Amino acid sequence: MKKILALILALAMVFCLAACGGSSDDGGSSSSGTSSGSSTSEAESSTGSDSEDEGGDSGEATEGGDVDYSDLNVGIFWYSFSDTFLSTVRASLDDLLDEAGITYTDYDGNGSQTTQNESITTALTNGCNLLLVNLVESGSEDAAQSIIEEAAGYGVNVIFYNRTIEADGNEGALLNAYDNVGFLGTDAPEAGHIQGQMIGEYLVANYDSLDLNGDGVISYAMMKGQEGNAEAIYRTQYGVEDANAVLVEAGYPELEYFDSSNTALYQVDANGAWSASAATEFMQTNLSQYSEANGNMIELVICNNDDMAAGVVTALQAAGYNNGEGTTTIPVFGVDATDTAKELIANGYMTGTVSQSNTGYAYGLKFMIDQLASGATPTEAAAALAEDTSDYTFTLAEDIACKVYMAYSSYTGE
Amino acid sequence: MNNPVKSLRQTSERYKAMDGKDRRGFIVDTVLNNAIYIILIVFVIFTYTRNPNIVSGSSIINIISLTAANLPMALGIGGCIVLTGTDLSAGRTVGLTAAISATLLQSLTTTNKFYDNLGEVPLLLVLLIALLVGGLVGLVNGFFVARFQLHPFIVTLATQLIVYGICLLYYMSHDNNGQSISGLSDTYKNAITGSVISKLTGGALVIPNYVIYAVIVLLIMWFIWNKTTFGKNMFAVGSNAEAANVSGVNVFFTTMMVHTLAGITYGYTGFIEAARIGSNTANTGLNYESDAIAACVIGGVSFVGGTGTIGGVVLGVFLLRIIFVGLNFLSVSGNMQYIIKGAIILLACSIDMRKYLTRK
Repeated sequence: MKKILALILALAMVFCLAACGGSSDDGGSSSSGTSSGSSTSEAESSTGSDSEDEGGDSGEATEGGDVDYSDLNVGIFWYSFSDTFLSTVRASLDDLLDEAGITYTDYDGNGSQTTQNESITTALTNGCNLLLVNLVESGSEDAAQSIIEEAAGYGVNVIFYNRTIEADGNEGALLNAYDNVGFLGTDAPEAGHIQGQMIGEYLVANYDSLDLNGDGVISYAMMKGQEGNAEAIYRTQYGVEDANAVLVEAGYPELEYFDSSNTALYQVDANGAWSASAATEFMQTNLSQYSEANGNMIELVICNNDDMAAGVVTALQAAGYNNGEGTTTIPVFGVDATDTAKELIANGYMTGTVSQSNTGYAYGLKFMIDQLASGATPTEAAAALAEDTSDYTFTLAEDIACKVYMAYSSYTGE
Repeated sequence: MNNPVKSLRQTSERYKAMDGKDRRGFIVDTVLNNAIYIILIVFVIFTYTRNPNIVSGSSIINIISLTAANLPMALGIGGCIVLTGTDLSAGRTVGLTAAISATLLQSLTTTNKFYDNLGEVPLLLVLLIALLVGGLVGLVNGFFVARFQLHPFIVTLATQLIVYGICLLYYMSHDNNGQSISGLSDTYKNAITGSVISKLTGGALVIPNYVIYAVIVLLIMWFIWNKTTFGKNMFAVGSNAEAANVSGVNVFFTTMMVHTLAGITYGYTGFIEAARIGSNTANTGLNYESDAIAACVIGGVSFVGGTGTIGGVVLGVFLLRIIFVGLNFLSVSGNMQYIIKGAIILLACSIDMRKYLTRK
C-alpha cells in the first residue's frame, strides 16, 4: 500500500515538473547549441556598417555576420531571477543569443553576492571565456574588484551591466583601473532625476486639484525598495529633490513628508525585495491613519519601482481611491515601465513611470559580445556601442571610456 | 469550559493559603506565564500615548485585516510545529498558488493576459485548484517526513527550492518573461478585498471580505484541532510518536495529513494574497513562513511538540501585526523592527521552555 502511494506521489511530482517545464520555452538556465555558422539577427546587420569606433582598427568587428562564435562561451550572472524587469531583459537577451547560436549559460545569484561569486568561479574553471555580470551588491567595489581580478587571472573580459559597481563619488576607480572590464547600465541618478522632473511638472500642472485639504502643501509618501542600494538611494533622493526644484521655480512650496515624526522620510521593504506586498502593507497601514475625511490624506506617492507602485495602487483602491471616475485619484509614480504599470497608467489608476528598455539592454549586451568576440577590447566595444545609431540611445560616461549609459525616458501613457 | 469567575476565586483562595515565599513565586510565575499579554498591553498603551490614532476605528480594522491575511498560514504551520517539525516551503507555495490564481483570474480586457484565450473561470474552481496545488506540496512534504523519517526542516527546505524553481519557470512561460501578473478580474478582487460588511452597515465598517473568510478558516481549524480524532492524534503524535503508535494511532497517516492540511492553508493564502496585493511576482510570499513560524512560537505552540492552541496562534499573529503597525505609527525605522521582533521571539521561546522545564 505504502509503495503504491510512494509511486503515485513520485509520478505526481514528475508530472508537475514535466508540465511546468514543457510550458516554458525559455525559462531557467538554458544553454544553446553551438552552431557557429548561423546568421545573426537583423538588428545587427543593419547597424554594422555605420558604426565606427575611435580606434578605427576594430571597425570590422561590427560586421555581425562574420563573427565567429565557435570558441565563445558566455556566462551571464543575474542578481536574481525573480526580478521583474531583469527577467524581461533575460528573455530578450536569450532570444538574441539563441538566434546567433552563441553558447551561453544564465546563472541565478538569488540575491546573494556569495552565490554569485561561487557561480563565477565555477563557470571560469569550466571554460567560460566572457562574463556578463549583474552585480548583486550594487555599488560594492570590493565585490566587483574580486570578480574582475579573478577573471583577469583567466584572461577573461567582464562586462558589468544594469547595477552599478562603484560607490557614489568614486566613479572610475575600477573601470579605469582594469583593461578587462566594461559597463553597460543606466546612470543611477538619472531615473530619480527624470522621475522627480516628471512629478514636479505634473504637480505644477494640477496643483490645486491635488492639494486635497487645501493647505497649500502637497504631502507625499515614499516607498524605498532596499537599504544600501545605489539606485534606491538616488531614486529616493532625487525623486523628491527634483520635484521640489520644479515646484519652487513655479512658485509653490516644497513637498512635505506625510508623517512629520518620521525622520527617514521613506518606508523601506524590510526584505529588500522592492516588493508589491511590502508597499501594500505600508500603504494600508498609512491609510488607516491618513485619509481625506481626516483632512490629512497623502496627496502623492513616489515609489522606487513599479512593483511597489502597483502595491500602493492596490492599497489605495481597497481604501476607495484610484478607482476611476467618481473617486479621488492620488498620483502614484514608479520606475521601470513594466507591463503592469503601463496598464495601470492606461486605466488612469497610476500616473507615471520611468522607462528603461529591456530590449535596449539586450541589444546593447549582444552588441558588446559581438565586439569582444571579434577581438575588440571592452573600451573599444563601449566606444563602438556609443557610436551605434539604432533605436536606442547609448552614451559614453564622462571620463570613463568603458562605461556606456542607456537613456531613460519618462512614461505617462501612450 | 471552566467558569472563569469560579476558577479566579479558586486561584485567590489558593493564593491566600500560601506563605510569603510561595506567594512571591506565584506572582513571578503568573507574570512570566502571561508575559506576552503584558507586553502586548504595555506596547499598545505606549503607542497610544505617543499616537492615539492606533486605537481609531480604521486603525483597528487595518490591524484585523493584516492579522486575517497572515492567520490561515500560521494555523497550517502550527500543526507542523505541534509535530515538533516546521515548514519552510510555506512562503514559496503561497507564491506559486498566488501565481496560478492570478493567471487564471485575469480580467478579460487586460492587455497582458497570461493565458491569451482563457475565458472567465469560476472563482471556486480556481480556489479549488489553489488548494489542490498547495495540498499536493504539503502531501509531498508529509510523505517524505513520514516515510523516510526525515526532519521536516530538510524536507521542506528541499520542496521550498523545488516550488520556487517551478514558480520561476511558470512566470517565464507563455511569453510572460517574468513580468508581474496583474489586471485581475473585478469579480475576483471584489470577492477578496471588497467589503460585504461595508454594504450591510452602510459604509460604517469597511472590513474586507477576506477577514470573514479567515474567520471561517479559523473555525474550521479550531474544529479540526479540538473536536476530531485526527486533531487528538496530531497532539498525541507530537507529544510522543512511539507511544501514539503503540496506542494504535496511525503515525504515518497523521503526519502526512498534518502537512497536507498545512499545504492547503498555503494554497488558500496564495489565492487571497494574489488579489490582496494585486500585482504578483516570483517574489510573492518571500519569507512569509518566518513570520508564521514566529507567530506560532510566540503564541505558545512549542517546538517541544504536542502543545499549542488555536487561540495562541491567533494571539501570536495579532501581536506581530500590532508591532508592525505600532512601529509604523511611532515612525520607528524598519531596522529597529527586526531587533524588536527578534527580542520578542527569544523571550517567548524562553518563557515557553521555562514552563516546560518546570513541569518536568
